[in-house]
Amino acid sequence: MNKILKFASMLLLAIFCCTTGAVATNSAVLQSNIRSVSDSTQRTIYIDRGKDLLNKEIKRDPIHTPDTTLLNQPSVTANEYDAFTFSEGQLDEDEDVIQGSSTMTGSNDDYFLSEVGYLFSPMRFRIRAYENMYNNVYANGVLLNDAERGNFSYGMIGGLNDATRNREGSTFLENTSYGYSSVGGASNINMRASQYAAGHKASLVGCNRNYLARAMYTYSTGLMDNGWAFTGSASYRWANEGVIEGTFYNSFGYFFAAEKRINDKHSISIATWGSPTERAQQGAATEEAYWLANSHYYNPNWGYQNGEKRNARVVTSFEPTVLFTWDWQINKETRLTTSVAGKYGKYGTTALGWNGNAADPRPNYYQNLPSAAYDVWDPSYTPTEDEIADWQQRYSYWKSSKANRQIDWDYMYFANKQANAAGGNALYYVEKRNNDQMMLNLSSILNHEINNNEKITLGLNVGTTKGMHYKTLDDLLGSNSYGTDIDKFSVGDFAPGSDYVQNDVDNPNRIIKEGDVFGYDYDIYVNNARLFTQYTFNNSIANITLGAHIDGTTMERYGNMRNGRAINNSKGSSGTAKFFSGGAKLGVVWNINGNNTISFGWGLENRAPLAYNSFIAPRMRNDFVYGLENEEIWSQEISYKLNYGPVTAKFTGYYTQFDDVVEQSAFYNDMLSNFTYLSMTGLQKKHYGVEAAIVYNVTSALSFNIVGTWNEAEYTKNGNGFLISENEKVVQNDMVYMDGAHVDGSPLTALSFGVDYNTNGWYLSANANYYDRVYIGASSYRRLSSVVGAPEVDEQGNTILDIPTQYKGKGGWLVDASIGKSIRLRGGKQLNLNLQLQNILNNEDMVTGGYEQNRDDNYSDGEARTYKFSKNPFLYYANAFNFYLNIGLRF
Amino acid sequence: MKAIKYLFTLGLLLFAATSCMNEHDEPVFTTPPFGNNSIGEANTTIEELKEKYASVISASGVKEITEDIIIEGVVVANDESGNIYKQFVIDDGTGSIIVGVNDVGLYAVMVRGQKVIIDCKGLHVGGYGKMAQIGGLYNGKIGRMQKVIYPKHVKLLGTPAEDYYGIEPQLIDENFFTNGNKEKLPLYVRMNNVSFVEANGTNLYAPEDEANSSNVVERRIKMGNTNVIFRFSTYADFANEVLPQGNFDIVGILTRYNDYWQFMLSATSDIYPIEPVNR
Repeated sequence: MNKILKFASMLLLAIFCCTTGAVATNSAVLQSNIRSVSDSTQRTIYIDRGKDLLNKEIKRDPIHTPDTTLLNQPSVTANEYDAFTFSEGQLDEDEDVIQGSSTMTGSNDDYFLSEVGYLFSPMRFRIRAYENMYNNVYANGVLLNDAERGNFSYGMIGGLNDATRNREGSTFLENTSYGYSSVGGASNINMRASQYAAGHKASLVGCNRNYLARAMYTYSTGLMDNGWAFTGSASYRWANEGVIEGTFYNSFGYFFAAEKRINDKHSISIATWGSPTERAQQGAATEEAYWLANSHYYNPNWGYQNGEKRNARVVTSFEPTVLFTWDWQINKETRLTTSVAGKYGKYGTTALGWNGNAADPRPNYYQNLPSAAYDVWDPSYTPTEDEIADWQQRYSYWKSSKANRQIDWDYMYFANKQANAAGGNALYYVEKRNNDQMMLNLSSILNHEINNNEKITLGLNVGTTKGMHYKTLDDLLGSNSYGTDIDKFSVGDFAPGSDYVQNDVDNPNRIIKEGDVFGYDYDIYVNNARLFTQYTFNNSIANITLGAHIDGTTMERYGNMRNGRAINNSKGSSGTAKFFSGGAKLGVVWNINGNNTISFGWGLENRAPLAYNSFIAPRMRNDFVYGLENEEIWSQEISYKLNYGPVTAKFTGYYTQFDDVVEQSAFYNDMLSNFTYLSMTGLQKKHYGVEAAIVYNVTSALSFNIVGTWNEAEYTKNGNGFLISENEKVVQNDMVYMDGAHVDGSPLTALSFGVDYNTNGWYLSANANYYDRVYIGASSYRRLSSVVGAPEVDEQGNTILDIPTQYKGKGGWLVDASIGKSIRLRGGKQLNLNLQLQNILNNEDMVTGGYEQNRDDNYSDGEARTYKFSKNPFLYYANAFNFYLNIGLRF
Repeated sequence: MKAIKYLFTLGLLLFAATSCMNEHDEPVFTTPPFGNNSIGEANTTIEELKEKYASVISASGVKEITEDIIIEGVVVANDESGNIYKQFVIDDGTGSIIVGVNDVGLYAVMVRGQKVIIDCKGLHVGGYGKMAQIGGLYNGKIGRMQKVIYPKHVKLLGTPAEDYYGIEPQLIDENFFTNGNKEKLPLYVRMNNVSFVEANGTNLYAPEDEANSSNVVERRIKMGNTNVIFRFSTYADFANEVLPQGNFDIVGILTRYNDYWQFMLSATSDIYPIEPVNR
């Protein structure tokens, strides 16, 4: 057995080491390079909070630990960010705001990694500014990341804190028994019913965040004498209005698991869960709008209808999942874990829609703002009296009543009634953009201990995903007619009655009623397979981990409508693109002596581009982006860990380079009055920086800590852009000046000073956190060479390009504290109280992210516009002072 | 096991109790949710208004209306098709006037056939190319009123009526273009038995490649022996529609730009073919 495994593993490694250059190509699209690789690894450890690893004496029972102080609490992460992240797969103007929630690697072996996830969460910090797609989330060894978009959707386990508490996290370079971790690390949720502490658990939360209250109840039998174990959990999160005005939260969560230990060798388990959720979103706004509303928490997404608040952007999601697992302890040294997970997820986001000639109903539409009256940014410009009066009128309008700053639903209903009275169609309506998904993933992983020092893992992951993307008519806002399924923005551009304006030529002029699919309807199929292996050698001096994987990925778009603007390449199959990729890593930990440890790691990974980025104008076309190829990731890091009496510290430096990155943005282009897509290939990104954590244990009860990181994460090459509008009036190849743009949505500098104190069941902590260098999303459109314009030469002969300066948030401090108490009651019962206070100093000026507007300051003929889009990025701010009170009872 | 059953039941109950939060009653309007419902009744006809400011209008001047002048009219042309931009036209039977508003999508409320009262006090009146318009000040000339003050000056009456509350276009013939009084413009008119000079079965209303710098394409309409200029916007929904051949009756707004006659069409549905035409 040993020999066979070792041979298989070494063979895999050899394949990687020997293979260079293009491996496989398909006539359709792809190419891939696989190079030799390496990486380091260490043992995986159960997450609690990680402090004990730095020789701290606090040993927290996960049950004592308040929910939100637990690192890696998925639903906390999800909750805190839901309203901001727009992690939904919607291709629209909000695409610009996609910013990941801070998925943590959650390694316990690293104080920095185990702490920053929660510590820096108010600023939506992402470790090393990596995108979420580089962090893998598994359940019982099955990958749960979305195959189309790459990231893990926290909505899938929303509110199920108890059910997802058993998590094991590891960094890229650590050995993982459950799967291969990507450059952003990985974590595995153990959902076997027997792994939950037996007994009842109930908790209540009161807070002022996205939701105001949460109730949760969990019961587990533990492993019973008959070999069965059952666990169930239910939760409900609620807010009629969250801390952001005009948002609500309505989310239920359930989890059921059963496990049967058949005998010493075999155990089978099943788990099923889901979180039907309905919630309203916050939208970003420009600084001018925030100033007019006198709040950085102004939310343009809502307005009054019948005097009641209604939000235009409502997310409904429900991703019921079933997971089967078979554990086979083949012998003392060998274990085979096989799991299958299936999901049918429904995800939809509503948005306002309007007829081509109707006014934009969004209250913060730029034409409504005072700065559209004259160029307020040019100090040399003297406005005319008319312009000043115009500015004043707009200003007064914004300031005079809250309703003026919000959506006017009554007006839209009235307009629709008026249109009906004249026999016309709805001017305004609410559409729902649906991104449903069916997923079936299988994994089978063999873990084998060769001897006391050597371990080997062999694994297979196979998955198939069908993403269903379509738009439905959600609400006609009182109108009796939407009209037919034609592209209203194309009507003036083409001869009426021509096929061009039809969204589905095979069903021309179809009358659309509420609930009907219209506009676009297509499926994306992604299949992938992975074979991986890891080998670990461990003794008192060194820990060496080798890992490697090979992957195959296919993707295909299947159009369910024949779009009039792409008659020959919208319906049916796009053909299949195939990608062959792989990677390897090496990690070495050298224990110089008991107090000094040095570790190194190297990794190389090729990965197929995301299906999400691989199609040109996927709402209507069946075409792959030109020049698609595997993305290549090369990373290396070095760490030094030290124990010196009461002080423990760890310092890390890393460098990661991403090559041949493919990205896409999609947005409504006012200049073209059309939805527009911009695909980029050939991008390069470099992430590098340092991380440090120092803990000083004054006594067993009192400790001080400093945690900090400085990162650089930027684009280092320009992209090959391809721009296409839905009416195909614009179809062009163009260079995109991305070189120098920073990765956005996460502070690149973060520093924390903290103190922890615990005694007699009380625990207190306080942290002062400094953040800086938060960039907002760089608009690729505004960096197109055709938009930037020709270079100019200044007097010194320097070539000057008018590339936009990326907006950067100002640095500042946020102070947080928490206090908790565990009380043991009679009969083994236990009461836990915890109060967290975030942003105690109420700093309301910390930008967490945002995006530049995808618009030019000039008209197409070069004439300057009055309103300066370049001066008006959309921004999000970190929450003001907020609290989170959790009362838990275990019985 | 019992606990699991309870939990399951509890879960189902909770799920059932979780009702939809995103449900809203449809508004019922006793008064329109737009405009200024405190405006009183009309005290001036459109003709009286135009006469009162005739000298300003004919000089292409502009003047702020400081008196309590309230007019009433029915919307007879608007920006629905995109051919007319940031304007609508009202007529009260005595005459028509152009109302300029610095906003798009005015037709959302100003549907053709809607009766509207306009409180002119505080607005400007003047002549744009000698033609009467009310609105705001723009570079010392008559322009559009600002979007935010517009609702304060209008009040909607009733619902849009198919018969335009009895307002009929004035039937004009070719003689009007020699004898007609330009001071009366704009005028809501009907012209019978006319045809497009440029209509040849392929020419479009307003293709971009024939447009002038204002994105306008000029077409001529033949009425007897007279040709009248029609101005079509390339932004009109029907811009790329083929000009109809043959004779038809047409309803629209006769306008002027200084001494030139012009004609504004609201929608192609205002063209009534007399005989089968190729559209």
